[in-house]
Amino acid sequence: MYSVILTELGISIFNEGKLEKAFPFSNPVKEYLLVKNKESKLNELINYLASIQRGVSVSDESLLVILKKYSIDCYLMESSELDNIQATKPQIIVDSGFASNLQDTLGKLREFALGLSSSKVTEVSESPDLHIIQAINSLDEIDKIANGLSSRLREWYGLHFPELDNIIDSINGYAQIVLAGKRESLTKQVFEDAGFPESKVEMLSLISSKSRGGDISDVNLAIVQSIAKQILDFHELRKKLEEHVETAMQEIAPNLSAILGSAVGARILGRAGSLKRLASLPASTIQVLGAEKALFRSLKTGSQPPKHGLLFQHAMVHAAPRWQRGKIARAVAAKAVIAARVDVYGEGLNQTLLEKLNIRVNEIGKKYENPTEKDIRKPQSFRREGGNFGDRRREGGDRRREGGDRRREGGDRRREGGDRRREGGDRRREGGDRRREGGDRRREGGDRRREGGDRRREGGDRRREGGDRRREGGSSKYERPDSNKKRKKFGRR
Amino acid sequence: MKDQIQIKRERSLEEDNQSYFWIKSEGEKKLATENLVPGNQVYKEKLIIKKGVEYRLWDAFRSKLAAAIMNDLEYFPFENKSKVLYLGASTGTTVSHISDIVGPSGIIFGVEHASRVARDFLDRVASYRSNIIPILQDARKPKEYFSVFGKVDIVYVDIAQPDQTQIALDNCEMYLKKGGYFFLVIKTRSIDVTKSPRRIIEEETEKLKANFDILQSIDLYPYDKDHAMVIAKYKN
Repeated sequence: MYSVILTELGISIFNEGKLEKAFPFSNPVKEYLLVKNKESKLNELINYLASIQRGVSVSDESLLVILKKYSIDCYLMESSELDNIQATKPQIIVDSGFASNLQDTLGKLREFALGLSSSKVTEVSESPDLHIIQAINSLDEIDKIANGLSSRLREWYGLHFPELDNIIDSINGYAQIVLAGKRESLTKQVFEDAGFPESKVEMLSLISSKSRGGDISDVNLAIVQSIAKQILDFHELRKKLEEHVETAMQEIAPNLSAILGSAVGARILGRAGSLKRLASLPASTIQVLGAEKALFRSLKTGSQPPKHGLLFQHAMVHAAPRWQRGKIARAVAAKAVIAARVDVYGEGLNQTLLEKLNIRVNEIGKKYENPTEKDIRKPQSFRREGGNFGDRRREGGDRRREGGDRRREGGDRRREGGDRRREGGDRRREGGDRRREGGDRRREGGDRRREGGDRRREGGDRRREGGDRRREGGSSKYERPDSNKKRKKFGRR
Repeated sequence: MKDQIQIKRERSLEEDNQSYFWIKSEGEKKLATENLVPGNQVYKEKLIIKKGVEYRLWDAFRSKLAAAIMNDLEYFPFENKSKVLYLGASTGTTVSHISDIVGPSGIIFGVEHASRVARDFLDRVASYRSNIIPILQDARKPKEYFSVFGKVDIVYVDIAQPDQTQIALDNCEMYLKKGGYFFLVIKTRSIDVTKSPRRIIEEETEKLKANFDILQSIDLYPYDKDHAMVIAKYKN
């Protein structure tokens, strides 16, 4: 009765509990993994087994598969035998001569485990998706830093040349001017080099000669200039990162980037942790990745679940009217997860995915062209919008310039929205009352229901307050924006 | 400063097992273990030398086992020569202290799946301590662990999964010896955020009762919020 036992340090053949032959591994980690992956050749072992010409029991499934490939008559051990091996493994290793005693065995096993674990860590660290995640996170980080630094630069250099802040939107151009030095040394050439059109150059030279700003000492100027230099460097780096993410995404996740775009796709990938894990997530999870706070609030309190998390940045979702966004986000998420799966398990770019998504989005656009009564009444979070408005103000670079028009329209739309919301507030108030009546009626029912009614009543009131708050918020927001007006004025040029 | 340090051996329930110590440092009574690898810090914890022996302070805010001790743990089976299966080794904070306790002739099988934290676990803990065998695998598949042999005295589980109790039970079935101890950290928030923590702890404890005698259940507040430690003994 021959048995073939696979251990971490080698393969041994026992006959009735006595060692027949041992095949130690010279490089345990490598060879053990080869066996486990069924890629081993194991010539010596196979020759030996072929020579004894008897059925053998085998302790490991992968090993069994290898042996069967060479038409060795073999079968898997019973579980009681396997348990026995498991319990006496150090002894088996000593008996096979892979180690000199139990203490030595332990040391060798530990070495094996360390080697194996290290090789796994190395393997994972090399996977390209982890590098994409680092790249996209760096990109977001750089945006954050550059934005903060940009407003600081505008403040500081603004002491010396305050008028510049309002004239130049692009932080890149601003930083280039700062690099040129004090107001006096700003020649037409500087402005032209920074890439401004003629009309602007004229105006800039005019204004710089009669600025209201104070003098700036050389020490201060030097610091301000190095900040400006940093910002320009960040801009360079950002461009590089963007390109890198783009190409890397095309390479490792072409389908995902076709559906989501490489930037959004990379961010989603970052949230999921790895491409493989992303491929194993349900679409509903992908839809709300990045909106965890809202999701858990919703699970806990039963409030409205989020329609989209990071997917909000997706062009299709972003551009859609509010009442369609949830539906479109769902469609995008559904296709995105299929795309991720194709990227991991399939091959090549699958064009039909994107086509189908486009068809579906068009369908949604047509079917839900107008908001229903319910959609209008839906309370929407004002705070978030307000926050974005504030944060984006100083957003850097050319993007802002291009974005200017869009945002202006956006502003108008939002203003209309504000009115609508205001009406909405009133209607909601009525709603609250109606619900209150409902509560009364329901109170006639059982106890539990009565409580429910009360709670709902409170809910109605709260919602009413909410409506008011939103109203105040709305008006204050739309009366405030001096800064907004300013940008408009210059943005048009 | 050195004069303030007092060491008191703590009695565990059955006998004096000399496994952890109370050390007075900065006017406070703090937990510590005797450093197996003198001079080696794992998580920038404080090292204190007293009578030629080096001790490592054991931070209850970072290690749930220490938190359980602070909250009156009654059973402490970790001792010299113990064999431990530790699921969820993470960066190895708790593992390092257990490694101090079980000593050079004990063994800890540290299982961890996430490669990012396993990196730190290998670098800071496993490569310095000869009694730790690191295993980078999914605790869901106990059959595939390489390098584990025999049955262990204690299974310690600290994994944040919705089905963590079932995973733990599967592992116990394969590797815990009869009459062995089972430490289960229940992270209620990773099981279900919508349910109340107390109810989850009750439900999870209920799942153990078929095969285990529940010895103690400890709330880890204030060291960890909504966490509990359940100590159980495998029925013979």
